[in-house]
Amino acid sequence: MKISALDYAVISQGVQAAAREMGVKLIRSAYSTILREARDGSAALLDAKGRTIAQAELIPMQLGTIDAIVQPCLELFPPETLQEGDFLINNHPYHGGQHLQDVFIFNPVFFEGKLIGFGASVAHHLDLGGGSAGLNPNASDVYQEGILIPPSKYNMDRDWNGGNFERLIASNIRVPTQTIGDFNAQFAANFMGGGRLKELCTKHGVDAVLETMDEMLNYTERRVRAAIEDLPDGVYTGEDCIDDAAFDGDDPVWIRAKVTVKGDSIDVDFEGTDPQVNCNINCPFASTQSVALSAVKVALTGSDVPFNSGLRRPITFRAPYGSILNPKPPAPVRARMIPAYRAYDAIMKALSKAAPEKVTAMGFDCTTIACLAHKDDNGFAVHIEPYGGGFGGSVDQDGCDAIDNQLSNCANTPVESLDTGYSFFRVKAYSMVMDSFGHGRHRGGAGFLRSYEILKDGATFAIYSDHHKYAPSGLFGGSDGTKGYCRVLRGGEEVIVGSKNLVNLKKGDIVEVFCGGGGGYGDPRERARSDIENDIAEGLLSPGEAARIYALPEAAE
Amino acid sequence: MRVGVEVGGTFTDLVAVGNGGITITKVPSTPHSPDIGALNGIKAAGLSLESVTDLAHGSTVATNAVLERKGAKVAFVTTEGFRDILFLQRHDRRSIYDIKYRKPEPVMARRDCFEASERVLADGSIATPLDEKAVREVLIPKLKEGNYGAVAVCLLNGYANPVHENRLVEMIEAALPDLLVTRSSEIVRIFREYERASTTSLSAYVQPVIDRYLGRFEKSLAEADFKGHLTVMQSNGGRLPAVAMRRSAITALFSGPAAGVVGAARQVEKSNFKNLITFDMGGTSTDVCLVNDGQPALTMETEIGGLPVMTPVLDIVTVGGGGGSIAWIDDGGMLRVGPQSAGADPGPACYGHGGELPTVTDAQVVRGAVRPEAFLGGRMKIDVEAARNAFTGIAEHFGISIEEAAESVVKLVNSNIVRAIQLVSTERGRDPRDYVLVPFGGGGPLHAASIADELGVSTICIPPNAGVISAFGLLASDFVKYASRTQQMPMDAGPKDGAAILEELKAELVEEFQKMGLSGDRLEFTYTAEMRFVGQAFELGVELPGDRLNALTVDDFRDGFEQAHYRMFYHGIGSNRPVEIVSFRVGATYPVEEVPVMHSTGDVARTPADHPVFEGGDWITCQHIASEAVKNAGTIDIPTIIEGSTATTFIPVGWRAELDHANNLIMKRI
Repeated sequence: MKISALDYAVISQGVQAAAREMGVKLIRSAYSTILREARDGSAALLDAKGRTIAQAELIPMQLGTIDAIVQPCLELFPPETLQEGDFLINNHPYHGGQHLQDVFIFNPVFFEGKLIGFGASVAHHLDLGGGSAGLNPNASDVYQEGILIPPSKYNMDRDWNGGNFERLIASNIRVPTQTIGDFNAQFAANFMGGGRLKELCTKHGVDAVLETMDEMLNYTERRVRAAIEDLPDGVYTGEDCIDDAAFDGDDPVWIRAKVTVKGDSIDVDFEGTDPQVNCNINCPFASTQSVALSAVKVALTGSDVPFNSGLRRPITFRAPYGSILNPKPPAPVRARMIPAYRAYDAIMKALSKAAPEKVTAMGFDCTTIACLAHKDDNGFAVHIEPYGGGFGGSVDQDGCDAIDNQLSNCANTPVESLDTGYSFFRVKAYSMVMDSFGHGRHRGGAGFLRSYEILKDGATFAIYSDHHKYAPSGLFGGSDGTKGYCRVLRGGEEVIVGSKNLVNLKKGDIVEVFCGGGGGYGDPRERARSDIENDIAEGLLSPGEAARIYALPEAAE
Repeated sequence: MRVGVEVGGTFTDLVAVGNGGITITKVPSTPHSPDIGALNGIKAAGLSLESVTDLAHGSTVATNAVLERKGAKVAFVTTEGFRDILFLQRHDRRSIYDIKYRKPEPVMARRDCFEASERVLADGSIATPLDEKAVREVLIPKLKEGNYGAVAVCLLNGYANPVHENRLVEMIEAALPDLLVTRSSEIVRIFREYERASTTSLSAYVQPVIDRYLGRFEKSLAEADFKGHLTVMQSNGGRLPAVAMRRSAITALFSGPAAGVVGAARQVEKSNFKNLITFDMGGTSTDVCLVNDGQPALTMETEIGGLPVMTPVLDIVTVGGGGGSIAWIDDGGMLRVGPQSAGADPGPACYGHGGELPTVTDAQVVRGAVRPEAFLGGRMKIDVEAARNAFTGIAEHFGISIEEAAESVVKLVNSNIVRAIQLVSTERGRDPRDYVLVPFGGGGPLHAASIADELGVSTICIPPNAGVISAFGLLASDFVKYASRTQQMPMDAGPKDGAAILEELKAELVEEFQKMGLSGDRLEFTYTAEMRFVGQAFELGVELPGDRLNALTVDDFRDGFEQAHYRMFYHGIGSNRPVEIVSFRVGATYPVEEVPVMHSTGDVARTPADHPVFEGGDWITCQHIASEAVKNAGTIDIPTIIEGSTATTFIPVGWRAELDHANNLIMKRI
């Protein structure tokens, strides 16, 4: 490397800071609750080849393959043909994208006429059309899920800000004011990142900046290879299953991972995974790649190793075409987080055999999407809440209670924000639940309940979730976590909604969504008595359960 | 006589100005009751409290109460269904690739969180009336039974209409008159229940501690015939009379570091430096702050130990690396420094108070940068053997010499500080090379040059008596208070309805200042409207021209907002999206009459001596001179250690230094 260590430190920090700032500004200038409160969006700076150099640490699932999603755009519109004001866009699951709602936008950055990189951002959009508002659990093909934007090139001046492309999008979606506002937040974040990158070039010289960007990839690659090198060589396997395929069948759907560690590289092979299904739980290959990269990153390297395209170099992955992890068009993909998490757990189970102290027992590891919608004379109101559950216990500690799971990182939406923005429902309760975790030397994190009171007739509630039939697995003698549930309380009656469904609601209905807790790690008989007593005092463990699991006399209460 | 007393984790510093002289005193802190240290300082300075007209006080009492979890036993009361709000937090993670992530721990246990049946809506209307019977029969007995020191009340939408919060507090206070009750609506009237609940619970947690502390301090002062004004530093860089602070504990949370930034900025301004990176290296931690054009950066949202605090504070980043920070070897066999500190008691091993663990100060003693005969002007005995013994473990573990172990620890703590500086500069899009480094605190000037080298900073400005600049800052800081109100309205209503609210807030502040005995026309005001495009959730502060509050136009609001939005987000100018005002804020400043002049003070004269310092893996010859000799030393361009009574400065190879007209030591890279 030619540049000095000091310059490298200053410039690389500058690039990281720019990416982080892009993320902050994407969220802070957004309009929809899913982006501004739940923070379901991500941002990154790419180099001129489309490789991720630095990212805002928001949502691992989205971040994992930003670099792969720009590639189909660059194949059609090569870097040398791009001009100031152009932007690239892609949400097509069968052309490198993930699910339709995650729209990836890339703005090229020019310095002194030369393309030096891209400001990239992705946001989960509240509604992109399709068979029902926000989420269509009944879709049997991708066309019922919303508008597809294939890898494309448009121009800001010509096609946005009142231009044809903006008008086309606005005409196909249910809440255009919020959604177009969120697109603008994406553009703003991209320009901001590009501006910062140009400032660095002005200050340090474009060559030093480009060299630093290359070196940032090498640095991450070196650290990841060193971490893989520490693992014993071998072939490790793991498997996990999805509850069912909703309307396409009641049987569990299996996902199998074979992880091969050899020297300083790793191969993840999903051979043996079940075929794709006709409901929306298919995982586009870009999403599958993101799972494999995130799982290796989270399990093997410390938080201080930055995530960028350098991480890809020691990792290879494959999934059979036509399987649920690499589906053929036009399979619907909206709930791709469901198979993604089972793939994640299958990899974790495999890695638990190679690095038992680095992994955790399985967390609830499932994205639960609750979508509330209502239509009246004023138009549509749509609200989406993404939720996690409890983490798994580990060799060192209990799993974290009630938090978003590893592949995602969405915040809850403040109840006060919902009270301001929505008049057809109100959050009634949001609380942790007693006895909602797996036991072990270290217990899993607690699960939680969110309940909504419906205030107007004609509202709908759609959900996708999992682990309603099979609980998350414990590890090394720890017991399994808890299952989730979703139900509607109507008068004295209970209606089970299930994990993947859409229901019509009446005024006065109470909708309850429970996200379960994580699995325990190690033998419960080894759990410290003080930890058990503290859980009882804190109201997280009932004395009865403590007596049953830990053989603690009930008098402890 | 005006006196500033700053209680730090390790030392209590005092600066007295008046009668043509300046007195500097440094005494060990007394962590169990910091006021004793403060009184010891006054005694040690030989001051008669009768002659003190203005006593400005700063302490880390509130901060330490939170960080060390030594606040009151607090109960938390919120709306039914939401008892777990402090534990659920925001459901996201700060570190996304951390498989063993832990949430920041709230200051109260889950068993101490209670609910009240009620519900106010966002428009202030009432969906469910407060169940007073349940409050009386269930909640209050539980609060009584729990032996709580304080109660925090934060109800949903209490920011919009505090009627239920007020009633609940009234009932609790009537039943349990000795209990301090804090409601969210008097602390921060901003939406987002978790952040507001966190701020409220922290305020309740430190309130009894501050109240008890200031009460005791006032009593001791009165016993010593003190008749002047006791004022206390706040987190926003201004101070308040102690009486007012006893009701406003949350604004004391970050007051310790704030005084130093203000003091440093005021003093260094005299050398015409206005863009600064200040770093205050004390006994337990180092605080870093960016100053642009003389104004320390302010933030509306900060956090302590990961818990959000939503009151205006100076934008300071703290790392656990100070003179007392303990060096240790972690499970992975890696050398680490801090965040554990030896504090004042037992203190570093070299203090000879029974400390045996190696600290950063011990490392400086081992490498000869701190000479036993000159530490704190020779007033403090230093045990070199004890310092060396403390490093034997680390030296043996890595198979290196004791001096090498000591130098590694110094380098490590420097890199921790560099990372903190990058956080407030590089990571916020600022290049540290465009700034002047201003080190202070006992350890700052000793570490500054090598930190500047790592950052590429070429100028360092060291204020005189750098070890007590925080105490000086107390005297140099103005009286500052903010008042704010959330009241949503379209931008078009700004000139009329908005201006009326600003006038009301201003009147409230004038009244409050009058109550504090600070009346008259010397008050200066700033007016801010927090605005956003309709549909957004985060606001941008727009400064309004105070000289024509009665004649504001819609353009004042629109232009200010569009420019702020453009600066922040690169778009928004000329947009036809509707704009709204969410809240209003008025800041009132009562400026101090004059900023006292700081200069070096009567150290014991010592003759320059050559003494070796271990630097870069070898012993080098280094000149040691007393700080009062610097005046006559001209340009210093050989390795030199300047020994002052409050701080030690190291000028290594590659740097030159000279005292300027304002008594600031200017160091430049050769």
